[in-house]
Amino acid sequence: MVLLLQVLVSGVLLGGLYALMALGLALVWGVLNIVNLSHGALIMLGAYATWFLYTGAHIDPFAALPIAAASLFALGYIIQRGILNLVIRGPMFNTLLITFGIEVILTYLAQLWFSADFRTINPSYAGSNHALGGLTVPYVQALAFAIDSVLTTAMWMFLLRTRTGRGIRAASQNLVAARLYGVDPKRIYALTFGLGAALAGVAGGLYGTVSQINPYIGGPLTAKSFVIAIIGGLDNPLGVIAGGLFLGVVESLTALYVGPTYRDVASFGMLVLILIARPGGLLGRTA
Amino acid sequence: MSESLLRVARLDAGYGEMPVLRGVNVDIRAAEIVALVGGNGAGKTTLLRAISRLIPSQGELRFDGRSLGGTTADQVFEMGLVQVPEGRQLFDHMSVEENLQMGAYARRDKTAIEADLDRVYGIFPALAGRRRQLAGSMSGGEQQMCAMARALMARPRLLMVDEMSLGLAPVIVDSLLDTMARIRSEGVTVLLVEQDVHAALSVADRGYVMQIGEIVREGTAKELESDPDVRRAYLGEIATASSPGRAARSRATGRRMED
Repeated sequence: MVLLLQVLVSGVLLGGLYALMALGLALVWGVLNIVNLSHGALIMLGAYATWFLYTGAHIDPFAALPIAAASLFALGYIIQRGILNLVIRGPMFNTLLITFGIEVILTYLAQLWFSADFRTINPSYAGSNHALGGLTVPYVQALAFAIDSVLTTAMWMFLLRTRTGRGIRAASQNLVAARLYGVDPKRIYALTFGLGAALAGVAGGLYGTVSQINPYIGGPLTAKSFVIAIIGGLDNPLGVIAGGLFLGVVESLTALYVGPTYRDVASFGMLVLILIARPGGLLGRTA
Repeated sequence: MSESLLRVARLDAGYGEMPVLRGVNVDIRAAEIVALVGGNGAGKTTLLRAISRLIPSQGELRFDGRSLGGTTADQVFEMGLVQVPEGRQLFDHMSVEENLQMGAYARRDKTAIEADLDRVYGIFPALAGRRRQLAGSMSGGEQQMCAMARALMARPRLLMVDEMSLGLAPVIVDSLLDTMARIRSEGVTVLLVEQDVHAALSVADRGYVMQIGEIVREGTAKELESDPDVRRAYLGEIATASSPGRAARSRATGRRMED
C-alpha cells in the first residue's frame, strides 16, 4: 500500500514536469499550427543553460531558471521571426521539415560545444527528502512540481486575462479577423514561439535537476511532449496538466508493476487508446 | 465640397496573378453613409480588403489626407479604418465581452474602454445579457450585432460594413440599419457594402454601383434608386436569384429574404 502511494506520489511529481515540458509544445501547436519538432532540443538547451550557470557561475539552479527562460525566449523569438514566419501559412510538412532541421542543428551544435558527456546538476540539497508518514518526497522534485504548477497557471491566466493573451487566442481562432482588429501576426507568432521556448527552457532546467542531461535528450522529450499534448488536447492548459499527470502516473505504475523498459510502451499505448476513445483529448471538446 | 475622408483613385487590386479591381475611384466624405452595391463577385469585398491592407494594391489610397501606401493592416486599423467583415468573423470561442475587448485591441485607455463597453451595450441591449456567452453560440442576428459592437469598440472614424444583411431576417436588418444611422449621427462615417441594394440605399446619402471590378454608376441614393439601369439590374438579380413569386414579395417589402 505504501509502495503504491509512493509510486503515485513519484508519478504525480514526474507528471508535473511532463506537463511543463508539453505546455510550450501545445501552445505553439495550438496557436501557430506548428508541431515543433525542435521543442525537445530547446528543453535540452534550457538544461545546459542551467547547468552552465550552476557549474560556471555558481548560481543556484532554481535561481538560474529565469535566465534560462529569458535566453530561450530570445532564441525562440529569433527562430520564429527569422525562419518559421516565412513558411507559417504553408503546408504543415514544411514546418515539420524545418523544425526537424533545427532540432538536428541544435543537437549537433550542443554535441560540438558541450561534448557528449553526461552532466548532472547537483546542488547541495539534491539528495534531501521530506518524510511524510512513510512516504518520501524529494525536495528538488517537490520544488520543481511547485514551479510547474505556478507557471502553468500563470500561462493560463496570461492567455485568458491579458490583452496580449487575447491577441494570441484571437490569432489562433480567426486570423483574418485578428488582422482586421490590429493584431500583427508576425509579432504575435514570434511572441508565442518565444514563450513556448521559454517554457521549454524552464522545463529543461528542472529536468536537469532530476535527471542526467546530454545533447541527445531532445528527441525523446519531443515525443513525450507530443503524446501529452495529444492526450490532454490543445484547447486549454488544464488539459496539458491532466495529460502530464496522467502520463507520469501511468509510467511510474508501469515501471513498478511491469518493468522500467515498458514505460514508453505504456505512454505510446495510452496515446493510441486516447486517440481511439477521445480524439479531442482528455479534457478536449469531443469531436 | 469638403475634403474626402477616404479617397480611392485608379485602384487596381487582385489575388496573386488574378486582377479583380480595375481603376476604381471612390470618395467618402466625413459623416456620410455611402453605399457600395453590386452583385455577387463584383469586387466589393476585394475593395474592402485592399482598403484594410489585407491584400496589395496599386493606385491611390488616402485616408484623412494621409497616403496608405506602405502601411500594414494593423496600422490602418489604428488610424480608425475599421471593418465589420463579411460573415461576421467573430472569435467564436471567446465570450461576447472578449470579442468586444478585441475591438479595443489597439487602445490602451482602460477607463475609456470600460465606458465604451457600457455605451455599446446601450446600443445593442441584446448583447448586454450575453456578455459571458461564447460568441459562436449565438444566433445570426446576435452575431452581427456582436460584430458591429466589436467594431464600435475600436472607435472607428470610418466603419466599413460588409454584407451585413446576409442571412438575416428583414426585421433584424431594419433594426441594424437604424443603428447605422444612429452611429453616423455620432460622427462616424459609414461605408455600407451590400448586395441588398434597396436596404443599403434606404439609409445611404450616396452610393456607388460596382460591376466586374469597376464602378459603373455613382450618385446620391435618390438618383441611384430611380436610375432605370440600376432598377433593371437590381430587379433582374432578384428574378434570377429566386422564384418570381418570391421576388414580387421581396419587392413589396423592399427586402430580399435570405433565410
